[in-house]
Order: sequence, then C-alpha cells, then structure tokens
Amino acid sequence: MPIEYETFARDSSRIMSGREVVLSLRDLAPGRKKYRGINVRAVVSRPPRPGEPTLWIRSVVGVKDPLPCSVRIVEELPATFQAVPYSDFFEVMEKAERR
Amino acid sequence: MAHKDLRSFLAAIEASGDLVTVNDQVDWDEELSGIGRLSCERNGPAFQFNTIKDYAGWRIAANPVATWRRYAVALGLPADTSVRRLYEAYAEREQQSIPPVTVNSGPCKEVTISGDKVDLFDLPVPMVHEGDGGRYLGTWDLVVSKDASSEWVNWGMYRFMVHNERLLTGYPRPNSHLGKMLLDGYVPHGRPMPIAIVIGADLPSHLAATATFRIGGNEAELAGALGQQPVEVIKCQTSDLYVPAGAEIVVEAEVYPDRVAQEGPYGEYPGYRSGEMGNALCARVTTITHRRNPILTLDTTGFMDSSACTTSISGAIAIKRRLEKHGVPVAEVYVPPESGVHMAIVSVRRGGGAIAQKIVEVLTARRALISKVIVVDDDVDVFNMAAVIHAFSTKCHPVRGVHPTQYQGRANALTPAYSSEERVAHSGASVAFDSTWPPEWPVETTPVRATLDAMYTPEVQRKVLARWKGLGL
Repeated sequence: MPIEYETFARDSSRIMSGREVVLSLRDLAPGRKKYRGINVRAVVSRPPRPGEPTLWIRSVVGVKDPLPCSVRIVEELPATFQAVPYSDFFEVMEKAERR
Repeated sequence: MAHKDLRSFLAAIEASGDLVTVNDQVDWDEELSGIGRLSCERNGPAFQFNTIKDYAGWRIAANPVATWRRYAVALGLPADTSVRRLYEAYAEREQQSIPPVTVNSGPCKEVTISGDKVDLFDLPVPMVHEGDGGRYLGTWDLVVSKDASSEWVNWGMYRFMVHNERLLTGYPRPNSHLGKMLLDGYVPHGRPMPIAIVIGADLPSHLAATATFRIGGNEAELAGALGQQPVEVIKCQTSDLYVPAGAEIVVEAEVYPDRVAQEGPYGEYPGYRSGEMGNALCARVTTITHRRNPILTLDTTGFMDSSACTTSISGAIAIKRRLEKHGVPVAEVYVPPESGVHMAIVSVRRGGGAIAQKIVEVLTARRALISKVIVVDDDVDVFNMAAVIHAFSTKCHPVRGVHPTQYQGRANALTPAYSSEERVAHSGASVAFDSTWPPEWPVETTPVRATLDAMYTPEVQRKVLARWKGLGL
C-alpha cells in the first residue's frame, strides 16, 4: 500500500520551496495507528516525485489542498520540540529548521 | 439524586428514550462521530456504540448531555423538566457544597497499564471530524490539575489529542484555570505538571468540570452538590491527584514545562474549526487505568454539542452572580445553546445605555468568552427567544443602543469572527445591544407592547383565557 502523510501549514509556499524543512506529519496508513504524528526534516515536491510517499497539505483550519505533493524524509526528529507551552508552533518548527 | 456513574446514567437515558444503542460495527475514523454530529444538529438522541472497528471489547458513548432532556436526567430530574427549572435547580445546588469522600478501591482501577506498556493507540480514540489535526481523546473529559503553591485543585473540561503512543497535546486556553496553574506555577520553575484526564465519570463531575467557576473553587465539591451526593474519589497511581473512582478511563500524564508538539486544528464548540492551532501544550502519559469493558465518552463537538447545554447553564448563572456583585439590577440571564456560548440574554429591572455599557464591561473584565449581550427589560422572558428577538429588533436603537468594548489579551481565541492575528493576540471585542426602554422616557409616551398581557385590561385577559380554554385550545 502506498505511504501517505498529511501536514498542516500556515504558509504552504514555504514548505514547498524545494529546500529542507521541518514538518510535523500525520501517518495516514489505515489501522489502529492512523494519524500517528512524527516530526521530520524533509523535502517536499510538487508535482509528486515517483517513488516518494504522498503528502497532502492542509491549512490551519484543516482545508485540504486537492493537489498532492510528495515528501522525502531526510531525518526523523524527536517527537517534541524545545519550547514553552503555548509557543507559536509554526515558529517553533522554523526555529528547529535553522539548527 | 443523580446517577452514581456513567453506566447508570446511560441506562436512565435509555429508559427515557434518549439513547440509541448500536451493535453493528462502526468505524472510529469519522463514521461514529458523523452519526453523533448529525444527532446534535437534529436534536437527536445520544448513542452507545458497542462494536468499534479495530477495537474489540471497547465501547463509545457519544454526546451524553447534548439536549435539555439528557441534562435533566444528568441532574437526577425527569427528562421533561423545563429549561427554566433546570436553571433554578442548578443555581440552588451550586450554592451548596458536598465534599468528596476518598476511597481505596474503585472501578476505574480494574485494569492498569503503566510505563512502556502504555500505548494510546490501544484506546478507540475517534477521528471526530475530517480535517482535524488528529484523534481527540479528550472531548467529554474532566482534567484534574493542582496548583503548585496552594491546595487549589482544578477540574476542567479540555481537549486533548493523540500525538503518538505516549504523547498527548492539548488546548486548555492559556487563561483557563489549568493554563494559569501551568504558566504561573510550573513553567517558571521548569517542573512538569501532573494531570489526570478522566473519561466517563459520573455526570455531575463532568458538569462541574465544564462550569464557569471561580479561581480557587473546588469543582469536586460542586459535583457533589450538583449530584446531591458526595463524589467518591481515589488517588492516582503516579501523582497525588484524586479522580472520580467510578470513572471508565483515567489517563495519568505530566505536562512538559519546556516541550511542545502539534495540536489541532479541531472543530470546536462554537461550531467551527478556527485557526487557533499550534499554540498548545504537550503531555507525556505515565499510566492508564480503566474499567473492564470500558466506555469511552465522546462529545462530537460543533453546533449544539454537549458543552452547549452544560456551559449555557453554568455560564448564565456565573454571569448573573457577577452582575449582581457589581450592582447591576439583573433579573434573569439565559445563554442560548444555539449561540455556541457566544451570546447572553440579560433582563434587568432598570435599563438604559449606562446599564448596558456596564454589563459588557463587567463581563469582559477577566476572560471574555461572551461576545454578544442582548439586554432586555424584565417583562421579557429571557428563555423565550421569540420574545427576545422581538425586543431586540424593535427596541434596540441602531446607533444609541449599540455598546461595544474592545480588549487585548483576554479574548476567546475560538471565536470564529476574529482574524488569525486577533486569535493569536487574544484581542477581541464584545457588544451589548440595549433593548430596553431608556429610563428617562416618561411612561406616558413610552410605547406599549401590543400583546394580550400588556394591551388589554386584566378583566378582558381573564375572559379571553377562559374562552380559549373553553374552545379546547
């Protein structure tokens, strides 16, 4: 079964820039662990590259972009990011990107 | 007296015709939530799903109190109790205090899963809406937390999402009682905050957790008062927190003072999925305990969900008490569930613009959850929305009757009308619509309402009512 993920983005153009970005993905594989979250450093491509897992992008209110992307996971990151509660999560991911 | 646990409550609403049991298999991934959502929108029944795909042996109860009938049963009253009587009963009981009793054993400890054996995906956590950020474990819950520097224990209902096997993310607002405890007492010292997420407790405990209650207030005592019997509580496995012993599931966790993960977005009680995602907290689960054959409770949040009824009553009563404390001549307050807890109807014994302005300022002084207030004279029944709409439409001056106020840092980030920037900054506004007659208008020239009770003599009214009855109407 093809691997599919989804992610939520405040600015989808930023993550589709072609460079490595930090993302929080939801694994869409059917079964008990569907929607499990993982944090990754990855490169997103649109149109999707053959052989790469499919990535669907949703907005901050959950609206799904109908055009698929693909994602090449470069590195799986720890399950949490260093930041105090209620920090802006998108800024936290951008900060992790610069490390 | 209210029912002692969730199971006896479910039996009671089944007996009153307010629960449908589904034995056919349903999918935890949107399907059962969709059924619950439709039921909320149609003023339909609660559901108990007995066969969940991928999760043999687990059950899910959806929307325990999303109607006034089920709310009445939750208080131990007949299902056909009027809304006004429910308000009165709540207000009477809220004035009492029945402390909890501690027990050494209870149903919630029948099964214990600790440490590395904890896997949140072993629970049938539903995907509530398509497009949510993840699967929400905490929708109809009760989250226990304790202040770091006092004996204050808070019970609140807050949303929690599964991130992975051991991690939850959640969004108690930063200005909620839990958020205040975390930010004031734990984060500055880098200490994790123990919490217990209780699912499927007795109904009064959940009603108390949703209550608009004072800082330092004891919701366990309020739960006892609402149920008219003490709540039995039992100590957690990994902290000194106490939880209702009859609960179906207890998830013990520690909130990180210095770590975050993705949370949301989530379709919330105002009836929308707003762009408030991303600014939340993260907790690591230490232990899960549960009853045998457990029932996970679910509120399919959105328009007319369970919180619409529960926060309507407690919110309205809190508003009334706060206005009385500030000298407002308030008669009655009603928060319509259809408003998503964004509107209050306030009747006053003496109206006018100054009173309306004072009302909106008092209600937005600390947390501003209500953004619209309709102020009416006390001859308008606040529970009769037709009468309220008539008063608002005809008596509120389009310029002089509108009393807005703006604020920073205490707005409701879930209010759909706010822009993304306003939600992030917690900046917003509320408005009072003065639908009362100006007190300076002489009675001789103030319009007279063209209704039977106002424009006919008492003698004619009596004759009309007698004739009405005689006609069998």
